[in-house]
Parts: sequence; structure tokens; C-alpha cells
Amino acid sequence: MQPAPIERLVAAFSRLPGVGPRTAQRLTYHVLSRPDEDARALATALIEVKELIGECRICFNLAEGERCVICEDPRRDPTLLCVVETPADVLPVERTHEYRGRYHVLGGALSPVDGVGPRDLRLEELYRRVLEGDPDDPARGSGPLVDDGTTSSGGPTVTEVVVATNPTTSGEATALHIGAELRERSPQVRVSRLASGLPVGADLEHADEVTLGRAFAGRRTI
Amino acid sequence: MAAVDRGAATRPGGHGLHLGRLRVRDVRTYVEADVELGPGLTVVAGPNGAGKTNLLEAAYLACTGRSFRQASDADLVRRGAEAGNASATVVTRSGPSVFSVGVDPQAPRGRRLRVDGTPVETLLDHPSRPRMSVFLPDRMVLVKGGPALRRAHLDQLLAVLRPSSSPVRRAFHEALRQRNALLGSLKARGVGVERAGQELQPWDATLAAAAAGLTTARRETAEAIRPAVNVRAAQLGLAGELEISYRPRASEDPEEVVAALAERHAGDLERGFTHHGPHRDDLAVRRDGRLITRFGSQGEQRLSLLALLLGEADVMEEATGSRPVLLLDDVMSELDADRRARLVGLIRERGQALVTVTEAGHVPGAGDEGVGLVDVVPGSAVVARVAAGAPADAPPADEDAA
Repeated sequence: MQPAPIERLVAAFSRLPGVGPRTAQRLTYHVLSRPDEDARALATALIEVKELIGECRICFNLAEGERCVICEDPRRDPTLLCVVETPADVLPVERTHEYRGRYHVLGGALSPVDGVGPRDLRLEELYRRVLEGDPDDPARGSGPLVDDGTTSSGGPTVTEVVVATNPTTSGEATALHIGAELRERSPQVRVSRLASGLPVGADLEHADEVTLGRAFAGRRTI
Repeated sequence: MAAVDRGAATRPGGHGLHLGRLRVRDVRTYVEADVELGPGLTVVAGPNGAGKTNLLEAAYLACTGRSFRQASDADLVRRGAEAGNASATVVTRSGPSVFSVGVDPQAPRGRRLRVDGTPVETLLDHPSRPRMSVFLPDRMVLVKGGPALRRAHLDQLLAVLRPSSSPVRRAFHEALRQRNALLGSLKARGVGVERAGQELQPWDATLAAAAAGLTTARRETAEAIRPAVNVRAAQLGLAGELEISYRPRASEDPEEVVAALAERHAGDLERGFTHHGPHRDDLAVRRDGRLITRFGSQGEQRLSLLALLLGEADVMEEATGSRPVLLLDDVMSELDADRRARLVGLIRERGQALVTVTEAGHVPGAGDEGVGLVDVVPGSAVVARVAAGAPADAPPADEDAA
């Protein structure tokens, strides 16, 4: 039996993803063996991250303050929206340096099994952004980026929505749902889906039929 | 039944060719059993209740980590013992490998699986693991019973013959689960057909894409085994044409499946589940146009199942380079002398088989050279080292025990 404060920290650590009871124990002893200021710094960081980080009012990405750094950045193309499931999905897209538009974080994907329907995702907000442009857009002051691109709220109109939900059953259904809704609500907007196919450096022989089938369907001229 | 167990994916080399030594400790009725199996036919003989099926089950357990009777850990461990173990030396092209499965009902982490002493998560995708084809009399339902078992059987075969189709099967079942959950929720909320249709639309499309792919894969698999099964049926003395055909309900064109699903929205909503798609398909076994399922005699059904297993073994051997080990429990009963001779002849042609019988004499040629014999004595609960298909004084290979 260990003193209660130790038990409490072990229990708290073991609630973290990927941390089992042994690792929790080890982390706890590690914290005990370090100087006081290390523990204080960790505690402060934990509290601060919860107090200071919230959702971006526009795209629902993680943000310090009202808007995230991407929505704040006037160099990001406001006519281009990339739809992702979670804030964690923004990072990998950013790392490609291929994408210069803005994001829209859904907060998940359709999954009736888990009781997640269209109203549980930030879908209405997405459709409004596409229809009306972003409110209080930093790009607004510099005028429309496309000739005919201004709307009543002043933000430049979205011209393309890239749906980058995961290539899972849930992600696919979510993409199809978004595609159908946008075709109806904003037929002028181009809706695209990230291509899926062969991983770079892989062998054709080892590709499964679904992947190879999609790679074929999405083949392009060279 | 015919459990085609899902073998490792088609990987060149290393496939299990046959089981060598089988060692059993505290499993079912056995205190201990130690059997040296030959590469061909081994006859497991003994009176009713002696534990013949248990020996087959132990072989299956050792190689798959599972029971072919869906037994729980408590069922598998001998009464009075705390834990049991089954291990098999698998002879592959690249040398022997020992598969071992420890069963302890008290263990929190389930069965302990090892290959050559190294713990593994699963034996199922180990490259050296032999595939096994099982015939059990109480599972004749595969031929007699409903379509669900035949679908499952076809899908297991699909997994062996076309491992690359696994994502399609997974995607289909996931999409079906999601769509059914949505139907249930729409029904509970009392949503009208038109609004429900909008919510169902993305799931219809997702389900249809996977359904069409699965239907194609199943049809091609059924077509692939049909000729071999037919040949085997004739060799077993089953007169007339034995026809295996996949009877899909859904189209192989995703757009047609979407349309068919949309047509049935009202009915699906009412019942709260999807009633169109490959989850309702059947694999029909017909002889001269008549369904064996309904019109076949006991003997015909038995021969049909054996023809199916043997034909599948042929196709698996051709596709993967290794023939599944046949575990045939009580297969000789209900067969006349001519059919017995034919069956044994086919089994002895190639590959390894373990056949249980009440009397060795029921297997024509049981005394021949190259045919192993394991006598299971009731009550003894011990099968001593038996050399089957090998000289009785063959040196034991103790170092290969896990």
C-alpha cells in the first residue's frame, strides 16, 4: 500500500492513453525524484493548456484566443477549405506544405453506431462558411481575392471544399454526406475528396483490392 | 462441419506441410498424450467416448489457438487440472517449428500462444502455420442448415484464397453495422421515409461499394472451387453433377446496389435493419439441379460435404502451395464399403489427414505401410508415444518440445 497522494497520481497517469499501470507507477516515481520546480512546471503546463486553449470560433481548430493561427493568417487562401475530422488531422496536412487554404474541423465523423449524426458535427457551420464566407475575416480589409467573390457579409466566397476525412467507412460516409449537401446548397462550389491509392514506395503486388481499385478509379494522365 | 480455418496469407515458402509430433497435457480427457504423426494418413481408433475427437481438437488448438467446437478455456482444460497445453511440431520446407497453446481459465490474458518458445499475439497469421480443414458430424449443418453457415464458410475460404479481399469484407460489415444502427435510430425517432432517405444516402453508397466488391469476390471464389468439387464428388461415387453456386441477392454494380437499397428504404425503416445485400446470400449445393440441402439423403449430404472439403483443399493447395491438413471426425459412418474405399483412396493420394473411427477395420488399408495408427484406449487418459506412419522405435525428438 502506497501513500494516498502517490496512489492518486498513479491513477491519474494511468488514465492517459497508452499508459498502463506499470508506466504510471514509473512516471510517478520519476516525478518524485525530480526537483520541485519540475513538478510545478508540469502542473502549470497542464492547467494552462486547458485554460488557454479553446476552439477557433471560425474553423473549430485548437486556438489560443478567439481564432486559430491559420484563420488569423492573412496569407491563407480563404476561398479554399479543407474539411478534417479532428484538430489532430490538421497537423499532417500542414506538414505537406501543399495546402495554403483554411480548415474546417468537424469534431468527428458520422457514426450511427456511436450515436453520431449530422447534427453532432460542425456541419451547419461548414455550410454557412461556404455560403457566406468567414465573419470578421482578416482578409476582408484587403478586398475580394476573386473578382466576383464578395458576399453580403464581406468575406470572400469559398470556391473549393477539399474533404479530407479519413478513408474509413465513417469518413467515407461523412464525405459523401457533405458532398450531397453542398451540391444542393452551394452548387457553384467545387467539392473534392483527397485521392486514395498506392502508398509511395510500395509494391503493386502487395496492394489490397480496395486500395488498388481506388487507385485505378483515381488514376491520372501523365 | 467444414471449418476452413483462415490460414496465413499466401506467402512464398515456409508454409506448414504437415504436423509431426503432437503433445497434449491436461486437455479434455487427456492427462498426457504424445503422438508422432506421419505425413500421410493417420487413423485414430477407439471406442465411443474414448477421446478421439479430443485428440483432433488438440491438434487444431495447437495450430490455431482455437477450438473447433468453440469450447471455452474451462471446457478445454481437463477436469481436476489447473491448466492445459497442446503443442504441435509443424514440419515446413524451411524446417520444423513448434506451435504451442497454453490454456489456463484463471489467466487474465487468455491463451498463451508460442511459436518456437517465443510468445505471439496470434498463430493465425504465422507463415509456418498449417491450414486445417475439419469435418465434424455434428456440424453437418453446413450442408443441412441455413445459409449463414455457408456464407461464413465461403468467406473463410475467400480469406485463404484471396487475402487481399479482407478489407472489402471488413468494410462491408462495418458499413452494414453502421447502416443498421442508423435505421434503428431513425425508426426510434419516428423519422419519415423522405428525411430518413437523406440520412441513409451516404451509408447506402458506402455499403453498396463494399457489397459489390464482396459479391464479386464471393462469386469468383465459388466459381474457383466448383470444378474441383465436382471432380471430387464423382471420385467419391456421388452420381450426377454436383454444382456449387453462389446465389447473390445484390448486384456487382455499386450503382445498382444503391438503387436497390433506396427502393427498400420504407421496408428497412419499418424493420430497423438492412434487408438487401450480400449478408443474405447463400451458397447453393445442388445435385442434378436439386438442392442437397433439402433433398439429399444423409449419405449424399455427407459425401457432398466431403467433396466440398476435398475440392477446396485442392484449390487451396494450388493457390497457396500447401494443402490443408484434414481432420475428419467419424467420417466413415453412414458410408458404404465402396464409398469408404474411395474416400480413403483420395485421402491417401496426397496431404496429411487424421481420421477417427471406432474400429480401425473401418478404414480400408488401415494396416498398410505408411498409414499411421493411434489407438485411443478409454479410461486410460494417456496416449503413450505412438509412432504413426513411422517405425515404432523412431528416436524421440525431445528438444523440439516447447
